[in-house]
Amino acid sequence: MIVVENLTKSFRLSKEQKKEKDAPARADHVDAVADVSFSCKPGRIFSLLGPNGAGKTTALRLIATMLRPSSGRISVAGFDTVKEAGQVRRHIGFLTGATGLYERLTPTEMIDYYGRLHGMEPALLEKRKGDLFRLLGIKEFAGRRIGKLSSGMKQKVSIARTMIHDPQVLVFDEPTVGLDVITAKSIMQLIRQCRADGKTVIFSTHIMGEVSLLSDDLAIIHRGRLLYNDTYDAFIREMKAKSLEDEFIRRVEEA
Amino acid sequence: MKLLTIIFRKELKDMLRDRRTLFFMIIMPFLVIFLIFNLSMRLGRDMEKRAQEKELQVAVFSAQPLPAFIKLLQTKEKVKIDTRVSRTEINQAVNDGRLDFAISFPENFSENIDREGTNEVPVYYKASTSENEQALGRIHKVLEEYGKQLLNLRLEKKNLAAAFVEPLRIDDRDVSSVREKIGQRLGGMFPYFFVIFCFLGAMYPAIDLAAGEKERGTMETLLVSPATRLQIVVGKFLVVTVSGIFTALTSVLWLYLVFRQSKTVPAEVLSGILKVIEWKSLLLLFSMIIPLCAFFAAILLSASVFSKSYKEAQSIITPLNFMVLIPVLIGIFPGIKLNAATALIPILNISLATKEIIAGTISPLLMVEIYLVLVVLAALGLIFCTRWFNREAVIFRGV
Repeated sequence: MIVVENLTKSFRLSKEQKKEKDAPARADHVDAVADVSFSCKPGRIFSLLGPNGAGKTTALRLIATMLRPSSGRISVAGFDTVKEAGQVRRHIGFLTGATGLYERLTPTEMIDYYGRLHGMEPALLEKRKGDLFRLLGIKEFAGRRIGKLSSGMKQKVSIARTMIHDPQVLVFDEPTVGLDVITAKSIMQLIRQCRADGKTVIFSTHIMGEVSLLSDDLAIIHRGRLLYNDTYDAFIREMKAKSLEDEFIRRVEEA
Repeated sequence: MKLLTIIFRKELKDMLRDRRTLFFMIIMPFLVIFLIFNLSMRLGRDMEKRAQEKELQVAVFSAQPLPAFIKLLQTKEKVKIDTRVSRTEINQAVNDGRLDFAISFPENFSENIDREGTNEVPVYYKASTSENEQALGRIHKVLEEYGKQLLNLRLEKKNLAAAFVEPLRIDDRDVSSVREKIGQRLGGMFPYFFVIFCFLGAMYPAIDLAAGEKERGTMETLLVSPATRLQIVVGKFLVVTVSGIFTALTSVLWLYLVFRQSKTVPAEVLSGILKVIEWKSLLLLFSMIIPLCAFFAAILLSASVFSKSYKEAQSIITPLNFMVLIPVLIGIFPGIKLNAATALIPILNISLATKEIIAGTISPLLMVEIYLVLVVLAALGLIFCTRWFNREAVIFRGV
């Protein structure tokens, strides 16, 4: 479970940023996330939707303990992200569009590394690695250096890295960006499988198609603020525009 | 501790697979040392040999014939006497290379000799031709011998012994031991190698392990792992330090091997050096490399953590390369000695201590002071690096 309460994250503006057109005069900071509250429950997929620069990545980095909130509170799997950051990281799997892989290691070495960092016992690590490699079709290139793999293969290794310690909570930050259709589909299947396994899943995207295929709960964020936070079904019922894209644009423009 | 070990081992494995790092750790020290000792010393030696063996084109001008001088010149040196050039053409002939040297005895040379006077004898040559600059000594030798002959004639005429013109003969007696002499010469050169190679060996791993990780997107996934920021920083710091130490040791090994193979350094000189430098001195020298590399690792890693990208890290770190050389160079200046004050200045203290360790004159107290200074600076650097690593504005700069 992820619970976000009155979350705000402020960043100090640099001189160059202050000169930008839409920065308020004399402002020395900007709220990338402003007073945001939502919760993600186990066995459900929570989609965080928003245009570029809306604050999606910042929100996910706060959940993943990479950033500290300026105010508010986040709890992940029952642990506070500030006071119990280490515990949070043990229960979380984080996947981004950038694969975050070490090019000079092989997939086997990469997964072993992250498994050991998560304190997995060798026997369990071997079993889990074997299962994931079979499931994702990594076995055939498990001994090849990651730098020599295609982007689809790399993404599979990223998924394995995210899942190796069987985390309760999964955070996906635009996981399909830049991927081909087949690989993107396999990511979405994985996300569905995580839901089926009772995990808490939050993923950010700006692709409406993914939202419609995956979401149980939906939040729209724009300029750091939540414009919508309810179930996906409720969103569809309340739609005034003809399509999801149009409805999203309408809500953003009205804000 | 367990997580730290896991991070260290993985970073070490990753680093050893980076061709650029391996080049700087192993190949570059060899190339630099080989080029310095073999090529440049051989070039210098060949040039000197050419200068010594070259047949010199020499013109001698005098109002009266000087058969004694001409005979001496032709007997003692490999020369070809040129009689075609006139006095008025001397400058031109030397400038355009028709003559290597022109010796112009003054018009009243013989009269001056008879009057027991002194003659100023201009020797024309072109210093910008390096061979001739080296060959000048050959002409001076002949002239000095001729001068001695003339002096002996004067002394014979006056029935005086040769000692008459030499009331004082200077007898320099160097009381420094062979070891101290070697310490002074080798000790000036040694720090160049291991200080510079410590730095270069640590440089690329530091850039790769922080700025490179940010650029490749692996930093985020590492930050989401259970490892704390401190464990991540220390793991990387240890790998960068090890890389610097390994490169410094490799450079010393290459130095020894190139020396052994080199024909420019006689084998008996090399074995003399090795006899004089005790294993205890070598251990002391190598022990200084450890805190020095730790100090460099902390600085380099901090600069790399701050950088947005590999390229930015390189542009910040490359000027540091030259700054590291300055204290090493200062250590070579005469009059700069290792004392309680200079022992406080990092890198300079190592440069000065190296000479004294090889010479066997190092003070244990100063040695302790040097270790303390370097260890404290390395620790402060590591604390600074960790604080930097904890700053969101730094770690996510450019991400």
